[in-house]
Amino acid sequence: MRKVIMLGIATFLGAADLSQVIEIPDATAILLKDALPAPKLYAMPEGCITDDLAAIARGKYIFHNLNGKETKEPAPEGLLKVLPNGKEKQYGNCVACHNIEGAKGYGNIGPDLSNYKSLFVDSGARKGEFVYQKIADPRMDNAETHMTVNLANGLFNEREVCDLASYVMSKK
Amino acid sequence: MRNLSICAALLSVALCGMLSADEKLSMSDADKAMYAEMVENNPAAMDLAEGEEVFNSLIGQEAYAKVLGVSVKDLPETIAGFPRMLTATPKYDFTFPKTMRKVVTLSQSLQMALADRDKKVFKLKDKEMVNMTAYVKSLANDLKTNIDVKANKQMQEMHALGQSVFEERRGGRGLSCNSCHSADVVGQRLRMQPLPDLGAKETAAAGTWPAYRMTQSAMVTLDQRMQQCMKNALLAEIPLGSKEMVALEVYVTNKTKGNAIQIPGLKR
Ligand code: HEC
Ligand code: HEC
Repeated sequence: MRKVIMLGIATFLGAADLSQVIEIPDATAILLKDALPAPKLYAMPEGCITDDLAAIARGKYIFHNLNGKETKEPAPEGLLKVLPNGKEKQYGNCVACHNIEGAKGYGNIGPDLSNYKSLFVDSGARKGEFVYQKIADPRMDNAETHMTVNLANGLFNEREVCDLASYVMSKK
Repeated sequence: MRNLSICAALLSVALCGMLSADEKLSMSDADKAMYAEMVENNPAAMDLAEGEEVFNSLIGQEAYAKVLGVSVKDLPETIAGFPRMLTATPKYDFTFPKTMRKVVTLSQSLQMALADRDKKVFKLKDKEMVNMTAYVKSLANDLKTNIDVKANKQMQEMHALGQSVFEERRGGRGLSCNSCHSADVVGQRLRMQPLPDLGAKETAAAGTWPAYRMTQSAMVTLDQRMQQCMKNALLAEIPLGSKEMVALEVYVTNKTKGNAIQIPGLKR
């Protein structure tokens, strides 16, 4: 309303309000929809950490790959490459930040997770609950973390977080 | 067009950074050879020439200076200070009614200049607009970026908004720009990619965009580059020209304030 009056006055005086032509789309709705839920504490599901080889294979696949489109090898049983809605499945791309056994082209933003079992699990330094929560929502333990959020935002489901935790904690 | 000096700076980020990371390089030998070739002969030089032609035929320096409220002589210095809040000249008093004063990017100011000349207003993503933006910014080549985020209340607000957009975790992976560009992760590697310090002299982020991006085989603006980061990291893309995108440009530009403008840049 006010803009219309302004424009009216401006035109009346012979100079158009040029700021009206600038492209200024509203991003509020986009950002609102993209917002992250508050940090959340999770209870680790029963039987989460397992030495079931199928679970570890899925965890490994999620850990090393970015998404179903970029990934050449077939997905292990129980994991999709394309979602029912036709979009590619996103994986963890954990190697972007972490080294681990067999990692190709890994990054170093996060700690090296090689020998995790002997260094951290067998020594008692890390329990399944810690690893599960770290992957599900790392902000609980470290509000300033640079790590991705994986469960709170629906990127993965509980079982997939368990698959990842089982893989990280397994003997390789 | 000499691009050597432009890329000496970029080389240190895109190449030397990787060379010193002694493990795996993210550029193959063939890519490195291509990069060296492009340093000598930036493919975006053609886009700039096209931008010059479009700008001169549709707007011209005199009309553009008038919209900005400065003299032609002061154009380069003014261009080096975008994004900025435009203040109206007496003649153009009603260009910016007080209540509507806005911080605008160089591209948005060109949209205004097109309207002022009764020409078709290109969209921000149009090739003509990108080319024109690059050409007009190159008029300030070798000057230092001189954005002033304290100049007025609007700039202060946009800078603060830009910082909050930069730091807000969101999207499919819960990442923020800061996850990969905060001071404590700069220089580390995401996959094989060294994370650039957006504020560093060698990155010169504000002074080197629009740049030719080898991986896109096209010249892109800083805002488009930031959209590419959003896309890669599963953050919803903030639309070009939106308040939040302009604010991000203000924030990122201010990080490299004082770096020389060298357009067109060349990036991996
Ligand atoms: C963008 C970077 C990044 C990505 C991607 C990432 N992490 Fe992390 N990760 C970190 C950082 C940084 C830490 C250090 C601790 C912290 O701040 O939470 C960490 C810590 C961890 C730890 C705790 C190690 C310990 O015992 O202290 C585990 C386990 C882990 N990450 C697993 C994963 C898994 C699994 C994925 C993929 C789903 C993943 N990370 C993806 C950055 C990342
Ligand atoms: C997951 C990691 C990650 C996230 C999140 C991320 N970036 Fe980046 N960004 C990178 C990497 C890696 C590069 C360098 C890539 C290259 O050299 O091609 C980069 C490059 C850039 C550059 C170009 C620097 C130059 O001049 O060469 C800008 C500008 C930038 N990012 C801004 C942003 C903004 C703004 C956001 C948030 C909206 C963001 N980034 C989010 C990883 C990230």
